[in-house]
Amino acid sequence: MDRELLDRPVTLAVVEDLPVVIEGMRSWVAQDPHQRVEIVASGNTLEAVLAGAGADADVLLLDLELNGVLMIGRIPELAAQGRRVVVYSVHEDEETILTVLKAGAVTFISKNETADHCLDTILAAAGDRPYVTPTMAGALVVADARTTRPMLSAREREALLLWFQGMNKQSVATRMGISEATVKQYIERARIKYASTGRAAPTKTTLLARAIQDGLITPDDIIEYQSLAAEGGSH
Amino acid sequence: MVAVTADTEVLVAQRYSVGSTRAAVTVVAAWHLGYDLPVMVLGWSAYRWPWLALAAWLLYTLIGVAASPALLNPARRLPLGPWPLAAAVLALDAAVIVACRPEDVLSPANWAWGSVGWLAIILFWPRRSWPVDLGVFFAGNAVVMLAGMAAADALDRTSISKFLVVLVGSITLQAGGSAGAHGFDLAARWAADSSRILARAEAAQQAAEQVHADRLRRYAQARQAAAAVLTQLAAGADPADPAVRHACAVGAARLRRLIAETDDTPNPLLHTLRACAFDIERRGVVVNLLTVGAVPPLPLEIRRAVIEAPLEAMARARTQARVTLVATANQVIISVLSDAEAFAVPVADGVTVATQVAPKTEGGLLWIESCWTGP
Repeated sequence: MDRELLDRPVTLAVVEDLPVVIEGMRSWVAQDPHQRVEIVASGNTLEAVLAGAGADADVLLLDLELNGVLMIGRIPELAAQGRRVVVYSVHEDEETILTVLKAGAVTFISKNETADHCLDTILAAAGDRPYVTPTMAGALVVADARTTRPMLSAREREALLLWFQGMNKQSVATRMGISEATVKQYIERARIKYASTGRAAPTKTTLLARAIQDGLITPDDIIEYQSLAAEGGSH
Repeated sequence: MVAVTADTEVLVAQRYSVGSTRAAVTVVAAWHLGYDLPVMVLGWSAYRWPWLALAAWLLYTLIGVAASPALLNPARRLPLGPWPLAAAVLALDAAVIVACRPEDVLSPANWAWGSVGWLAIILFWPRRSWPVDLGVFFAGNAVVMLAGMAAADALDRTSISKFLVVLVGSITLQAGGSAGAHGFDLAARWAADSSRILARAEAAQQAAEQVHADRLRRYAQARQAAAAVLTQLAAGADPADPAVRHACAVGAARLRRLIAETDDTPNPLLHTLRACAFDIERRGVVVNLLTVGAVPPLPLEIRRAVIEAPLEAMARARTQARVTLVATANQVIISVLSDAEAFAVPVADGVTVATQVAPKTEGGLLWIESCWTGP
């Protein structure tokens, strides 16, 4: 995938019922100086988008609410097909975010933060790397506090909290007295810990495999996370 | 305290009520067992049909036993209702008259007509119309007895005199007893009513005093929130001066908090935060308010302590503020990342609420966070 990514732009399919949002997405993609992303399909239903060029897109950007209907129930089948589903929504409460992640979406972007994080998220998703938006970070902090055996370390939790509060990674690093790379590692590791909870999906397996490859976690960690997931530790 | 007093009064009144009804039942039972039974046994030879007299006595007992529980416990209803039972009582009255030999119709052996009035008292007791009911019953009893006397050919002067003496005597005793007991009951109810009214008046007064004290307290708080800046303005401070403008914004935010924090909402902390965000939005600040988790119930003092510094940071924001609230069962963290100038952060108590500030050098924005940690 990496080699391919170097050769060609990441292909993106957008499922969204508001034409103005699709237009906005196109303009963000067009503004990227390196032209790293290409929108190959867009439409207001999953069927319409997946029938054409969207069928083989690297990333599927899915608006959670299409014509008033929540798409949560469709995520598992998409994930099972190996699609990298990035969900974006105005529903940014932690329950929705965690449900979406458990259903197999690779990440979640809140519509109020799309501009800052959209391209980064799509690129990370295409490379099977974790990307945590600030909104998602808040949900992970609260979800971890609810478990009987929290998965996050104190430092990971602090990094997520500051990231949720709106600091950029450099500010989080200064605040915590660590390097920016370490901040990134803390935040991504937190996401990986939650990738092993919920429904199994090829995309999650790839995410975990990639995390091991990158040295973010070790194979031993995964066994531990999965045992936590098995006992229903995420809630 | 007041409510307890009122309840006590009602309880006392109820006890008096029960006392007087118990007394009535006791009188009826005592009369029936202590007078009716001996005169019937002693006058056994005076009856033509003694078993009919005994049956009448037993029917009297049966009606008395059936009526008493209904009287002592208002939740139970009188079987058949008072008038059918009263008719049965008059019938047993007639049966005893018939059972007597004609010459003994005015002897003590004819016990029923002088005694049935007692039974009527407990039958009609709970009815508001008890005086009328009793009057009709007494009249019916008199008619039955007169008819019995006529049948026995005992309408001579002596017999009529005896009849009148017994009739007036029994009616006086029975009606007097009933009136006395009912009066006793009524007096107890009046006493309870008046003390309830008194208790209500006391409660209303206490509530009014509480409201007044609350108003004074809130006035003092509003004064504390806004007096300094108003004094500055009155003394000629320049509204164009950014420091004065910030002081005004902070005073306004505090007033807003005072208004919002006592509203009755499921989540008062978030409600207050939203109200303040709404206010700064109206003056053109782009606010991004994000919350995760459910806020645990917190006392007003803690809510105030945890919101104080973020509130001031919001009030001082110039163009943008990201406000976040993270809540878990034992932790509530409110942070504001804004383009406000650094300011002297209000001091939290440091025990339950800790406030941290990151200087503006970090990313060009002022970060402030207040954290409450539960026990």
